[in-house]
Amino acid sequence: MEKIVSTGAKGGVGKSTFAILLAFKLSNQRKKVVLCDCDVECPNDYLILGKKLKDKKPIYKEYPILDKKKCIKCGKCSETCKYNAIFWVKEKYPIFIYDLCSSCKACVIACPNKAIRTKKQIAGNSFINKINDNFWLVTGISKPGVLDIVPIVREAKERAIELAKEKNAIYLIIDTAPGTHCNVIEALLDADKTYAVTEPTPLGSHDLGLILELLKKLNIPGEIVLNKADVGNKKVIEEVAKKFNTKISIEIPYSEKLVDAYCKKKLNKMVDLI
Amino acid sequence: MKILVASGKGGVGKSMLASSLALLYLKKNKIVVCDCDVDAPNTGLWLGETKSDSIEKISTSFKAKIDLEKCTKCGKCKDVCMFFAIEKNENYHINPFLCEGCGACQIICPVNAITLNSVKNGEIRIRNTKYDFPLVSAQLYPGEAGSGKIIEQLRKKAEEFDHDIMILDAAAGTGCPVIASLRGCDYVVLVTEPTPSGFSDLKRILEVVNHFKIPYGVVINKWDIYPKLSKKIEKWAKNKILGRISYDKNVIECIVNLKPVIFSDSKVVNEIREIFSHLK
Repeated sequence: MEKIVSTGAKGGVGKSTFAILLAFKLSNQRKKVVLCDCDVECPNDYLILGKKLKDKKPIYKEYPILDKKKCIKCGKCSETCKYNAIFWVKEKYPIFIYDLCSSCKACVIACPNKAIRTKKQIAGNSFINKINDNFWLVTGISKPGVLDIVPIVREAKERAIELAKEKNAIYLIIDTAPGTHCNVIEALLDADKTYAVTEPTPLGSHDLGLILELLKKLNIPGEIVLNKADVGNKKVIEEVAKKFNTKISIEIPYSEKLVDAYCKKKLNKMVDLI
Repeated sequence: MKILVASGKGGVGKSMLASSLALLYLKKNKIVVCDCDVDAPNTGLWLGETKSDSIEKISTSFKAKIDLEKCTKCGKCKDVCMFFAIEKNENYHINPFLCEGCGACQIICPVNAITLNSVKNGEIRIRNTKYDFPLVSAQLYPGEAGSGKIIEQLRKKAEEFDHDIMILDAAAGTGCPVIASLRGCDYVVLVTEPTPSGFSDLKRILEVVNHFKIPYGVVINKWDIYPKLSKKIEKWAKNKILGRISYDKNVIECIVNLKPVIFSDSKVVNEIREIFSHLK
């Protein structure tokens, strides 16, 4: 199975559009494809594909709870917590602030009297949709307000890998969130090939530089997809491509037809663009 | 007064609008602009700024390190790590891209072989713009963790400048960095576009905004790429609509030439002024 990632630090440059076009293109060639939407804060692939999410599976995170009978009010847990998620004043019980908790369980380990347990809470869900005989979509989606979404990306990806194995898929296509931080890194890990999608503006070139730097650090090969290639100024992208010795392998011209197909959930009619 | 521009979906026009509003507020107010997209900071580009006057490296995260001479290979650290950051081949070692610096491994290690070291994970940049107001931004170094904490530092820095209006420009999404940008804001301008994803992401970011009980208004950018859906969003948002902005290729020309949109002759200028009039 080949893992291909569609990414690009900037939002709205066409990461999802490209991932879906690629999935359709490969599945039209009768190659089995699983697409995994790892933009779990704002997953949109199912919307662009016109699907209602199906086959829900909860994703849990563990949060600390205090056994007041055992707690000796020593404050060790609060001192340990690197996320400032445990509030403690002398001679009082600590208070856990779940909004800040990363579920690292350092407090559980640090407590000298084993007074902290954890309980599971749903932090998000994953879903599976069949798009056609050769194309499945796995979607990860976080519960709004959940701070650390890396576990949701991880579990959605694991579910997609399992599904790909079960269906004998040749390709796993991963669609990431914008940005370059932990959730994007989790989506990128173990990728065989990456497409960094960008647009020919100073915004596009600036953010392309950041994602190519990240790929270099992670040691993952990348190529550039230049979307809306004929608007703006292509030179700025070529300069970054040269700097990082990365080729621009696909150019997609701006077309109202593509915008229309995106809005009307008909990207399957546009595969000739890539 | 702190006004955050946010959206959920990326590329819908947050930084374009935030920079435009900043320049409009500037006429009668002391302002400071705070670019809270520390992954890919772009507000400056919309203001025609590509440089910084000062750069300060900061450290808001830790990474664990194993002293192999002390390590007895008991594997307890690997068992407790919730981030799958401890890998084993011949020896145990930390994958720096996964380590969150939580310290669980350090506490569990029976022979004190693990230390936590602070890492320089980003930098805060300050620019006195050519329009004579401060722009505060930050860059989380690619591959590093801790964007939420960098935003906290960034906002503290922005507070140091004398101002009556602070314009904050959020990153895309709804998670950690966006929540760090939202806390303590007085008003949120939610930008969307008339696409199924734009509308869906608007509803998702709104859940977070409502969680913090912050008043908000909605702007539909590029409303004319799909007028039917724009109408639907307007109907849904009711009296929260601040206005709509047209799709205009001149806006792309502006960013290509690093010229603030508000000083161009694009038709969106009047539309943004109209939105601004509802904010004042």
